[in-house]
Amino acid sequence: MEGIFAIWQRDVIKFLRDRARLFGSFSMPILFLLIFGGGLSGTMEGLISETVPEGADFQYIQFVFPGIVAMTLLMTSVFSSLSIIEDRDFGYMKEILVSPVSRVSIAVGKMLGASTVACIQGVMMFLLIPFLGISYPLASIIQVIPFMFLLACALSSVGLLIASFLKSTQGFQLIVQLLVMPMVFLSGALFPVNNMPGWMDIVVKINPVTYGVDIMKKVMIDTQSLAPAIREAMGLNLTLFGRSITVAEEVLFMIGFTTILVLLATLSFRRTNA
Amino acid sequence: MESIIEVDRLNKQYKDTHAVKNVSFDVGQGEIFGFLGPNGAGKSTTINMICTMLAPTSGTITINGFDATVQRSKVRESIGIIFQENTLDEKLTAGENLMLHCRFYRVPKKKREERIQEVLQIVDLTESRNKKVETFSGGMKRRLEMARGLLHYPKVLFLDEPTVGLDPQTRAHMWEYILRLKRKEGITMFLTTHYLDEAEISDRIAIMNHGGIITIDSPAQLKKQVGGDIIELAAKDNDQAEVELKQYIEEGEIIRQEGTIQIKTADSDSIISGLMKELSVPITHLNIRKPTLNDVFLSFTGRDIEHSES
Repeated sequence: MEGIFAIWQRDVIKFLRDRARLFGSFSMPILFLLIFGGGLSGTMEGLISETVPEGADFQYIQFVFPGIVAMTLLMTSVFSSLSIIEDRDFGYMKEILVSPVSRVSIAVGKMLGASTVACIQGVMMFLLIPFLGISYPLASIIQVIPFMFLLACALSSVGLLIASFLKSTQGFQLIVQLLVMPMVFLSGALFPVNNMPGWMDIVVKINPVTYGVDIMKKVMIDTQSLAPAIREAMGLNLTLFGRSITVAEEVLFMIGFTTILVLLATLSFRRTNA
Repeated sequence: MESIIEVDRLNKQYKDTHAVKNVSFDVGQGEIFGFLGPNGAGKSTTINMICTMLAPTSGTITINGFDATVQRSKVRESIGIIFQENTLDEKLTAGENLMLHCRFYRVPKKKREERIQEVLQIVDLTESRNKKVETFSGGMKRRLEMARGLLHYPKVLFLDEPTVGLDPQTRAHMWEYILRLKRKEGITMFLTTHYLDEAEISDRIAIMNHGGIITIDSPAQLKKQVGGDIIELAAKDNDQAEVELKQYIEEGEIIRQEGTIQIKTADSDSIISGLMKELSVPITHLNIRKPTLNDVFLSFTGRDIEHSES
């Protein structure tokens, strides 16, 4: 436990000291907010108000904001796991590997460190809410944080697993680009993924971002009082094997996903470093 | 003397190379054990196996009574390693680096502060505790690594080229610290170095070549094995000189090195007086000396350690 804590603490301290990283990683989410919030919202709102009678005061940005927060979580989680490759390059990994800390503890500590960093960044995104002309109840914003952390854990474990069997940062960048963008687009974070062709639907359903975003929307937006047609149009009726999925099931999926990937990363450490 | 490290018939085999062949040796408690060999001799592979970083193909390693292939965690607690390259986190302060190490090695909470102060004092870094490591000089970083290696009171300290890249003055200081530690704490030291004058402080030296250990003995004994004096000479035409020397010298070994010819002999006086008369080529350089560890190394491995650096 002590080892997990030490590894976690190191990554969090380093993140909080690095101002450039703290603010630099906002550029991409803000760009997406501008495009989807400013650019696409007019079109989407027009479409909804034409087709749905209750859609007059529909605000698209309210739906897309949780998705963009999830995207921030995804990017920060995966890139924070990159620190494991940096540790290897700068030699610090050796200090950890020759210590009595178990390989599982190293993987868990790194995963929790990256998740915490991502979660802090995600929460900082909430500071933008007043500038977007939308509002969420304070209680639901506080409620959503544990779910954000859980999603960050699932995503950090993806980054961890990739980093554990890669040698260089370049390889990592490439794989991440091939992975991060599809994970964003095929999750319902930015637009509904109700009617995807078969194979794409499979990707959507094994993508942890799908469930994370779904929970975030369920918690942040009062989906029950929305007109059924709007819920359907915005992809809020997520189903798995033909029936709608509950929050508890989504949480279980993310816990299982994280556990499996962390164990795989541990095995990968053992293989390369005895 | 009780052994703290016991290595028995250790082997490491890779697909097409046999990197370590049947290596066996013991290191006694409190001993400074020098481990020398040219690059590619299998030194690092052996050390990595002893430090639990690499699994041996066969053979056993016991450290502090624990089996290095089974009780890895116990072995890791018993050893401290000072690596050749920097393994500090430069973005953190010296104190933070030390505190993390205490956590990794489960140093009891109450003792952490006391130990950190203690090791910082040993390496004269008390004043720099709250400075980031990236602001440190090369020598300070090495000292901090050494302090960190001592934090969990290891039974054996592995020093892998501890002074590489340091200026002569800092190097001398480092050795003062190391010797002070040995005297004060009685820690066993396992040392690899390329500087043979530094290996002199070892109680015993093992020389490794082509995956096996060639000899283990004290520096004095090793030098005795080389025996006699060493005459170093250079001539206008070394090739011609070598041919003539081989005809003229009956007792003694002639080794050709870049630029010089070395003659190992028990009877240096008569050879020197003969040299002047017998050689047809003019001598440009002549020197007689006692054998050094480098000569020992050269005669055992056929390579000059100071020119075999990576």
